[in-house]
Parts: sequence; C-alpha cells; structure tokens
Amino acid sequence: MIEIEGLKKTYINAQNKTVAIDNLSLKIERGMVFGLLGPNGAGKTTIIKILTTLTKPDTGSCLMEGFDININPIEIKKRIGVVPQENNLDRELTAWENLLIYGMLHDVEGLDKKIEASLTMVGLWDRKNSLVTHFSGGMQRRLLLARALLPQPSILFLDEPTIGLDPQIRRQMWDVIRKTKIQGRTVIITTHYIEEAEALCDKIGVLSKGKLIAVDTPDNLKTMVGSYVVDVIDEEGHLNQHIFKSREGAHDMASRLNNCSVTIRKSNLEDVFIKITGERI
Amino acid sequence: MSKSGWYPIFLREMLHFRRKLLRLGYIFSAMVIPIIYLLAFGFGLGRDVKIEGGDYLSFLIPGLVAMSSMNNSYTWVSSNLNLNRIYFKTFQIYIQAPIKASSIMIGEVLAGMAKGLFASILIIVVGYLAEPTFHLSAIFVATLLINCFMFASLGIIAGMITKSHEDTATYSNFFIMPMAFFSGTFFPIDKLPVFIKSVIYLFPLTHTNILIRKTELDYEGLLSLLILIIYGLAFFFYGSGLIKRYNE
Repeated sequence: MIEIEGLKKTYINAQNKTVAIDNLSLKIERGMVFGLLGPNGAGKTTIIKILTTLTKPDTGSCLMEGFDININPIEIKKRIGVVPQENNLDRELTAWENLLIYGMLHDVEGLDKKIEASLTMVGLWDRKNSLVTHFSGGMQRRLLLARALLPQPSILFLDEPTIGLDPQIRRQMWDVIRKTKIQGRTVIITTHYIEEAEALCDKIGVLSKGKLIAVDTPDNLKTMVGSYVVDVIDEEGHLNQHIFKSREGAHDMASRLNNCSVTIRKSNLEDVFIKITGERI
Repeated sequence: MSKSGWYPIFLREMLHFRRKLLRLGYIFSAMVIPIIYLLAFGFGLGRDVKIEGGDYLSFLIPGLVAMSSMNNSYTWVSSNLNLNRIYFKTFQIYIQAPIKASSIMIGEVLAGMAKGLFASILIIVVGYLAEPTFHLSAIFVATLLINCFMFASLGIIAGMITKSHEDTATYSNFFIMPMAFFSGTFFPIDKLPVFIKSVIYLFPLTHTNILIRKTELDYEGLLSLLILIIYGLAFFFYGSGLIKRYNE
C-alpha cells in the first residue's frame, strides 16, 4: 500500500517559481498497476523522484508499506525498484557488471544466479559481457528493467519505460511488466502512450499542472466522460470530437451530419484526458 | 562497517579504472606533468641548487609525489562525481540504494585514494631511477595516505557542489593549482614574506609537504600531522553531509 498525503513540491530558480506537485493525495493498493497519465510538465516524473527518494518534498507525507519516506528512507529503498526516464546505466561497464554493482548495493543474495535470471528474462543473457555503450536504445531499456527487478522489489517504479521503443520491443516490455504484476508487485508507471496505459493499468491517475484531476479504472474513467466518440472532420480538415454516453446518441448525431467525414468509435484514455483537462497528452 | 555499502561503489570505480589503465594514454597522462617538472626543475635547475643541505632533486621528488597524489585523488573524484551526478545520472543508483551516505563517501574516497596512490607510485618509481638515494619512510607513506584521503574527500565536496563540469575546472584553477605551486612543492616556504607564509600555512598541501619530507616526527611534523587529520576529517564529514542532503 502506498499512501500519499498533501504532497507539494515547488522548484524555484532565478527566473521563476514552478509548482511541480500541488497538494497531491493518493492511495495505491498493493499488487496494483497504477498509471500516472499527463502531458510533459504535469508532474509525473517529480512524483516518481519523490517516491524513490531522489527528491525531497516541500510538504506532505508518503507512506510505503508502512514506512514514511521522510523518516525511514532506507527501509523504502529496500523495497523499491526504479526504471528512470533518463537512462542511468553505466555505459562503460558490461551488462553483467551493471547488474553486479546494483545487486551488491542492494545486498542481493545468490547474486550470480539472479543476474542470469534477470538478463535471461529480458533476452540479454547472450550479451552479458558486452559494454552497455554498444547496446541499442531498446536493449538499454530492457537492461534497466532487468536491473530494477534484480533485488525483487515489492514496488516497481517505471518512468516512461518504453519511450522511443519500437512496437515489438514495447510489447516484450509489457509482458515483463505484466509478469511482475502476477508476482504480486505494485507497479507505478508513467507513460505518454494511451495504448500502454490501457494495456497495463488497473487504475489511472490523471495529472495536469501538478494536480491530480481524476483517479479511477480505465473503464470507469471512460464511462464517466462517455463511452462513444464521434470524430468529425469538416471540409477544411479540422477534427471535432463529440463524446456520448450511449451508442444511440453517437449514431443520432452522426446521422444528422452532411459534407464531412464521420467516424464513430469507443472512447479511449486520450479522450478522457482531453475532456477532463482540456489539454492533449 | 558493512561491505555491501561502500564496496560496490569502490568496485565500480575500480572497474572503470582498470579499463582506463588498459589504455596507454592514461598512464602517460598521469605521469607527464610530474615528469616534466622533474626534468625541468630537477635536472635543469637541480644541478646547481642546494636546499636544506641536500641536492634539489631529493627535495623535489617528495613534493612531486605530494602534488601528484593531490591532483589525482582530487581531480578523479570531483570530475567523475560531477559527471555521474549531472550528466550520466549514475549517482542516482547510489542514492536509491539502501545504504548510508557515509558508505557512498567511503567507497568514493577509497577509489580516489587508490587512483592517487597509483599515480604516486609511478612518480616514486621515476624518483628512484632519477635519484637512487631517495627512500620511503613510514612517515612518507603515512603522509601520502592522509594526503590522498584528504584530497579525495575534498574532491567529493567539489563534485557535489559544482553545477556543471566546467565549474570543476574553475575550482581546480582557484584552489588546486595555487596549492601545487605555492605550498612547498618546488621551493621551501620558510623564506617567503610573513604575510604570504601565513596564507600558505592555511593550505593543506603545505602541511603534506612539511610532513612528507620529515625523517622523524618532530614538533613541526606533529603539528602538520594534526592539521592534516583535522582537514581530512572536516572534508570527509562535510562531504558525507552533502551526500546525505542530496536532493534533485
């Protein structure tokens, strides 16, 4: 269980003051895949950095499995694994050496076997002695995931884990993430990809400008704003979207439109996001 | 002291160091500046100069060892830490690991000491070849270790507070370079004007240069030893505090 209460973080520099997180409160149940959805600058990465002890909040508390991040950070560090948005692998070391150092830092027992299992899981065992600098972007993301899972954390943080990956590799990553959920881990994931959020998340938190706007299951969020969308492209090529609670409502509107391209489809999380925040992801 | 804390950090640095050693340029770059000084000052100037009753080369070699150990311990740690913190972000994995700030400090400082000692050994070997009467005393070795510890700890401070890689060079130009030239590496400081001498006595390398040339521990040596220990511990604990307060 993760309990966040009244979390606030402001960044101040010579030019301006930016509220990255604004009075955020949230509960995430154990074993859940929880997605943080929002555009750039919404505060997703700041939340991850606070929960993974890299950034100290201005105010507010975070309890993870009963430990307060401000009081027992080391107990929290024993329980978390992190795939950061920015690749922080040691590029001048091999894949094996990266996992060796990480495993030793986390005092992992039976390290050699666990490194082998982790590298095998992400399909990098045959490249264990290659320097990371020679890996493709996709291989490096997979190695980051293997590293995060090495100490068998109970909470896994994934900050844009599949950013820049081709669809095939992305789906391989999803399989590994689903497997970690089956193993009972809590997973917190930030993503730009609607498809990813829908495929993986049990619950979604919609963030905009540091505020948590809505929290619910993907289906409930879609039902809340309307399950059907009519996409209308007018003669000048502009797209207008209309959301309806029922299929009949959508059909009724579509039947009344002339001289434009009309598509009726089910709503997705991007529609939810646009409806709630007025922004695009 | 738990080995799982500091050891992986030390090991990581040594893995990097081993790869760098395999590149020929590294050893050459660690040696080139002190050897230039040895050739220019030692062989050039040294033939005609006597200091404290001995020849100049015997005076210069311990000073070059002190300078080289300072440069290598400090520069390696400050530069690596700065890069790992700001550009490569690899420092994050230390902060997110369940270890104490002091463990990170110990691992980094030991790695810095190892690099400083390695460079010192190269100079000592060259020193033996240039001046066969040169010998290592227990005071020399102890001073060398303290010097590496002190400047590796100072390197952590610089690596933690600098906001860009260029800043580390600025710190080096303002603090390390003047110390290298004015702290008794190349000439004794006792004949300098009193005002300048009092400033120079504030430099930690001055006390390394005093102590490293002692054959036995007299009052002056003990005082320098005490000052070096105080500087070393102050740098170490301040550096640990900076790591503990790390905040992105």
